[in-house]
Amino acid sequence: MFEALTQGLFVLIQVKVLGLMLVGIFLGFWVGILPGLGGATTLALMLPFIYTMSPVEAFAFLLGMHSVVATTGDITSILFGVPGEATTVAMILDGHAMAKRGEAGRALGAALMSSLIGAVFGALALALSIPVVRPLVLKFGAPELFMLAILGISFVSSLSGEGVRGLLRGVLAGLLGLLLSMIGQDPQEGILRFTFGIPYLWDGLDIVPVLVGLFAIPELVDLAVRGSSMGEQAPQGNLRIGVWDGVRDTFQHFWLVVRCSLIGTFIGIMPGLGGGVAQWISYGMATQSAKDQTERSGFGKGDIRGVLGPGAACNSKEGGALIPTIAFGVPGSSSMSILLAAFFIQGIMPGPDMLGKYLTLTFSMVWVLIIANIITVAASLVFLNHLAKLAYVRASILIPVILFLCFIGAYTANNSMGDLIAFLAFGGVGYLMVSCGWPRAPLVLAFVLGKIAENNFYIATTRYGYSWLHRPIVLFLIVLTLVLFFYPFLRYRKKEIPEKEMAA
Amino acid sequence: MKAVFKARSLLGLSVTIIGAYAFYDSWHWPNKAALFPRLISVPLFLLGLLETSLSLSGAEEQKGGAAVDFEFSTDVDPITARNRTLSLFLWVLGFFALIPLIGFLLAVPLFIFLSLKFQGKEGWLVSILLTACCWLFMEGLFDRLLHIPFAPGWLSFLWSS
Repeated sequence: MFEALTQGLFVLIQVKVLGLMLVGIFLGFWVGILPGLGGATTLALMLPFIYTMSPVEAFAFLLGMHSVVATTGDITSILFGVPGEATTVAMILDGHAMAKRGEAGRALGAALMSSLIGAVFGALALALSIPVVRPLVLKFGAPELFMLAILGISFVSSLSGEGVRGLLRGVLAGLLGLLLSMIGQDPQEGILRFTFGIPYLWDGLDIVPVLVGLFAIPELVDLAVRGSSMGEQAPQGNLRIGVWDGVRDTFQHFWLVVRCSLIGTFIGIMPGLGGGVAQWISYGMATQSAKDQTERSGFGKGDIRGVLGPGAACNSKEGGALIPTIAFGVPGSSSMSILLAAFFIQGIMPGPDMLGKYLTLTFSMVWVLIIANIITVAASLVFLNHLAKLAYVRASILIPVILFLCFIGAYTANNSMGDLIAFLAFGGVGYLMVSCGWPRAPLVLAFVLGKIAENNFYIATTRYGYSWLHRPIVLFLIVLTLVLFFYPFLRYRKKEIPEKEMAA
Repeated sequence: MKAVFKARSLLGLSVTIIGAYAFYDSWHWPNKAALFPRLISVPLFLLGLLETSLSLSGAEEQKGGAAVDFEFSTDVDPITARNRTLSLFLWVLGFFALIPLIGFLLAVPLFIFLSLKFQGKEGWLVSILLTACCWLFMEGLFDRLLHIPFAPGWLSFLWSS
């Protein structure tokens, strides 16, 4: 095993392989930064180029590109409040708030370092778990996936505002998100639900225009109202110092970064959950690390933990998602399905062979995840001063350019005018929600998880009747869901009682 | 403040109406298709009603309820803020209207130039340079390289016919 690990590294540092990986990293860097381009789309576009490559070269190129997309997507989210990738939306909440406060360097430093740790964590998980992952994945059927979705939705309580009133709005936003996820053709009966006779809605709402509208339009309104640059509210300061503060923050909250990396890896392993879920659950986990209400109310307004959690989870999920893809040929996400196609193009069948005949290739993938992220983070840190200065570009210049990127980003989801209408409609919804103090994160979390929950519920019920409720992992997840939902209240209540006693 | 209360009540009321409509719409669906929408729409309706009544009674004054989210800047005069918000939405809608009218490939440079020159009051050089950069990016990457199918505008159809 150790021999294969070192061989995996040696095959990677050959000039041609390394060169192709660098080309992949360069492409992934820009794909992540540009809102209009998705990682999965670019993977698909690059597939024709791998026909003439050897397997090691092909995966160094493709994985090198794919593994850094989330890392650089964070940069756009932090600097402009526009998601570079659909998986980097949670980063906007606190990362962009920090950039507006003049702490762009610190936010970027924290995002990059937590992303790197997350990526290394995911890669190590991939290296260590392949021989033992089969029983774990086989234990997770539709009932467990349904309960995992419900567990994710229970984080709505952590993502809501302060007090009962904040919870009420958070739950309402979550319910609205669930209802939005029901739009489109019902997979059980084939009924068209809430489509109003509009063909665009038959397949349901696409996540990209919804997210771009919800998050970008309110930020643009705020930028236009202030009429200044994004970071004008605070002096720029020394970015290098800010960056090192961010790096230091990552190690100060190391346990949180590790927990969120674990969440990301686990969600990556589970087919069908995806990165959109990982970022929000880890954000919810980060908000739960707040010691009291005052600390919690700082989330969404520039708390560094809100940057660290999603940063780590988004990158660790890549290593996790590779586990079922390599071990069983079961892709965990759309990107992994495309990567699976790359296996077939190369004439490789994922499965037991990856642990025997192709073990060196498997370990070379582990190294690609690590090295590509190290190179990207190093390059980003070198150019960070220039990147962070973008937050100080005049609003009059930024607004039209960002709007153009938002429109093109929304349109390329399905190349349809419907995407643009959805983008505008959700832009209005996002503006109203922010104006009225409603949290947007629960809506997105529930929107992402709603369909997964419903589909797996029916698969579970059809396959097991209601006996699935007695499965041990399901019971454990039910208890965990209840604990996670009520934990914030119990903790604050516990803290409030002694405070009241002290006051009395 | 009164306007915010009004918006809050309206948002609560909208959600209540959505909940009621979802329940009504799911009434004639088969059980499997209707189960989840009904399970969601009932609490949405009831909690929406509660939120609306609390907003109308001004309960947030006592109970805080700030979201885990960013808040709009409050250091700008409300009338200026309202005018700038309205202006931004008009520009966004204008851009959106241009796309079906003249097509994406023409709408992008036209919008960017007009927005920079007249809304942003930028100089000619900056406006022209930035417009050219955005157009090149759009044409080169999305049109030539990725072959994203951008439909031509209605006006070009009229022109060709």
